[in-house]
Amino acid sequence: MQSGILRPALATYTALFLLFLYGPMIVLAILSFQSIDGGPQFPIRDWSTYWYQHLLGLAESSRVSQLPVGESLVRSILLAFMTTVVSTILGVMSAEAFRTKFKGSGPAFYLIILGMMVPGVLVGLGMALLSNTLGIGRAWWSTSFVLHVVYTYPFAFLIMLAIFNRFDRTVEEASFSLGVPPAQTFRRVTFPIIFPGVLSAMLFSFTLSYDEFARTLFTAGRDLTLPLSIYGTFSVEIYPNIFAFGVLTTLFSFTLLVIYGLLMKRFTAKASRFSGQEDAA
Amino acid sequence: MSAISTDPRATSAQTAESPALIRERKDRRRALGLLTPGLIWMALFMVLPMVMVIYVSFWTQTTFAVNSDLTTASWERFLSSSTYLTAIWTTLRIWLIVLVSTIVVGYPVALFIGLFVRNKTLQTALLVACVIPFWTSFLIRVIAWRPMLGTEGAINTILLKLGVISEPLTFLLFSEFSVLVGMTQIYCVFMVGPITFMLGRIDISVIEAARDLGASFGTVFRRIILPLSLPGVMVGSIFVSVMVLGEFATAASLSGRKVNLLGNIIVSQVGSLKWAFAAVAGVVLTIIITAVIALALRLVDLRKEM
Amino acid sequence: MLTLSQISRFYGDTVALDGVDFVVPEDTYMSLLGASGSGKTTLLRLIAGFEEPNHGEISINSKRIDGQAPHLRDIGFVFQNFALFPHLSVAENVAFGLRYRAENPLSNNSEILDRTQEALKLVGLDGFGHRGVGAISGGQRQRVALARTLVCEPRIVLLDEPLGALDANLRARMCDELRAIRERLGVSFLHVTGSETEALTMGDEVAVLANGRITQSDAPDTLFSQPRTAEAARHMNAWNTFDGGLCGDALSNQEIAVRFDQMEVCAPGTAPQDHLSLKAQYLTGEFNGPTALSFFRASDGSLLQIIDHLSQPRLPDLIEGQDYDLHFSSNALRQFHGAA
Repeated sequence: MQSGILRPALATYTALFLLFLYGPMIVLAILSFQSIDGGPQFPIRDWSTYWYQHLLGLAESSRVSQLPVGESLVRSILLAFMTTVVSTILGVMSAEAFRTKFKGSGPAFYLIILGMMVPGVLVGLGMALLSNTLGIGRAWWSTSFVLHVVYTYPFAFLIMLAIFNRFDRTVEEASFSLGVPPAQTFRRVTFPIIFPGVLSAMLFSFTLSYDEFARTLFTAGRDLTLPLSIYGTFSVEIYPNIFAFGVLTTLFSFTLLVIYGLLMKRFTAKASRFSGQEDAA
Repeated sequence: MSAISTDPRATSAQTAESPALIRERKDRRRALGLLTPGLIWMALFMVLPMVMVIYVSFWTQTTFAVNSDLTTASWERFLSSSTYLTAIWTTLRIWLIVLVSTIVVGYPVALFIGLFVRNKTLQTALLVACVIPFWTSFLIRVIAWRPMLGTEGAINTILLKLGVISEPLTFLLFSEFSVLVGMTQIYCVFMVGPITFMLGRIDISVIEAARDLGASFGTVFRRIILPLSLPGVMVGSIFVSVMVLGEFATAASLSGRKVNLLGNIIVSQVGSLKWAFAAVAGVVLTIIITAVIALALRLVDLRKEM
Repeated sequence: MLTLSQISRFYGDTVALDGVDFVVPEDTYMSLLGASGSGKTTLLRLIAGFEEPNHGEISINSKRIDGQAPHLRDIGFVFQNFALFPHLSVAENVAFGLRYRAENPLSNNSEILDRTQEALKLVGLDGFGHRGVGAISGGQRQRVALARTLVCEPRIVLLDEPLGALDANLRARMCDELRAIRERLGVSFLHVTGSETEALTMGDEVAVLANGRITQSDAPDTLFSQPRTAEAARHMNAWNTFDGGLCGDALSNQEIAVRFDQMEVCAPGTAPQDHLSLKAQYLTGEFNGPTALSFFRASDGSLLQIIDHLSQPRLPDLIEGQDYDLHFSSNALRQFHGAA
């Protein structure tokens, strides 16, 4: 679009916007290499990896207590894994159900979507009250887990809904017409075709759960998850070890993203070997 | 179905159930069967807890415990306390400011990515660049504003070095300002995405035709671009609203306890075992959010836009 | 033998099929001709079991199959868009049914391989097994779809506009091949199409579906020269159908049909005494190479066409906008009582 000044102005603005998005993380990453006697601010006294060693428990005793990330990391990963499995299964099932028209599909849709809309602090509070009243102990693997699924299942559902919208039903019918029963058809035809969507739903569920904290706050009981451990340090003074942790956890998330990308690429490469190479023939 | 049963053709074959009816019922039963686990999950772990919040808000609060004698005492105390009423006002104010600022900050970006960048690869790359920060931990993104805005933080250091200021700016951190900046940065992605999506759908030839007919960019924007992007703004507003209204962590870590949202009230009341008060705050928050979503859903059909 | 009796299908208030009676005999190539939206795809989907009729019965060899799950019906289906499995190779597509079907699945890999090769050879795709289904042309995909269906030896094969997605050249070639393959296997094909040429070329028998019913089912030449209903005549795209009253009171209130090539044109009032005639205005002509079409409008507004073969021209020079008499021998006339 020819609009004279508008285009470069918007381009500049977008660049500034990206700086606004990334600035704090960049500063945080720089400060994570602060020296042992430096604070969580500028100037950098000396470049060092001290706070990384401190985080991993490799530094000799220090005035700053170590971040309690070890066990909580394991818990968070386990919790995210459980959440991923359950919410992906529920998401695929519900989206499959929505391929049939039935009465009440509107309210059912909104009931599911509500899960990603209700503030975590509210359902967290409700679950805490409920478990108190029923005398059920709160723990990350029970009360927190069910709330994480409430949150991630709508995302998985929406992703699968979009995938099924583009899904060509006739391949399933072709399979039936070859005498293949519905269960086998799902396993051999439907599932392989929707698999990229399933992978996306899993990635979403895992990251959302791994990072979820409002829903965990009141429901995790005594054993903390990773975000809770981090939140605990907010009230006290912060040290660059938190920054080091931030860098590492970001790297972890990107590793997940890369694994997802590789799986996706491998899958689509396999698929494109069999389709879409019109001109190669 | 009623249309069929009133059909004279159908009445002649009413003796036996038609295979079509049986198949239809089977399909419906299968759909409900597939949907039931999810709906039960939502009913037990979302609806029931929310009902519990409403119920407990009428319980009797003693110093360290609650009991199930019904009373409106917590409500009366909540609604007559200036602390709590201020929290409602703060929540609404912060929500509105953040909502407006995410639109103001995000819209031009969406305009650029969705309308001005027509190279698909570049468009995707820019969108991915906007979404990537979402992939790092929420709490880390919040805490990252501290070394940025602090008195010895990046901004003050740079401004001092440039000689723009001689004393560090102290209002940057531990103020309402830092909360607003933090929230805007964290949530504006949810505004940029939907708007870009809507703008990307606009047929560029429509705009070019209008320009050829002599319409100024202002006119084109007002008559074509703005109306077509409004559903995106609405969807983005729903996302941002539900997230900001339920917020407490950003305020807790960036305001230095100067900003107390309803979320913060809930957290602090739970911390001191004042469950009934927390529940009252929860119900108030629910009412606010329901009102906001209901208003937004009147303006946009979420199911259609997704 | 596939028998449909009184098959009806509604979608809400819309009637797609309204009491279809239809028989596909053994070892027959049956064409089913219908305009788009006539319900011909619905009919195939009902037979295959992807949908169920609102009433009526479908049976094969007098055993009812309606109500049965589609995978138990043993009926092959070739889709218009081929519906190949995009994630599998050509050979895996063909072997799919043998491997995973509910009844009598094969587990012996060498047997599956043999049968797959055999099926691919049958459709002329020998050596294409390792290819991806996206790496082959439209005509080849069509053959894969066919091989995939035939290898399972279904009791009958339904083909839903199987040539619709192919270009004209390929269509002509596939026509011959489909017939040849069917004759070799001896299984019945039910081929649905919207093109009368395709239906007449391919079918041992052709059925015409109109207004939700089978209006006529006959051998192609019988159907073409002696349509029994106005609908059937219209579907041949070679008959003028109009109100008999235009030719005088004797035929009033009857719908009649005269073939394009059996009508003559002459100046008003000069029609032979022993011919029936009607007045019509010449609209325009259309030159199609070996044939030429002339269009006329009768006094009640109906459009009439007359075909002229260039080797034997029989029409006078026509002037647009002028009235002529169209006449024809009473032998050429077909009357439909109670139709329309």
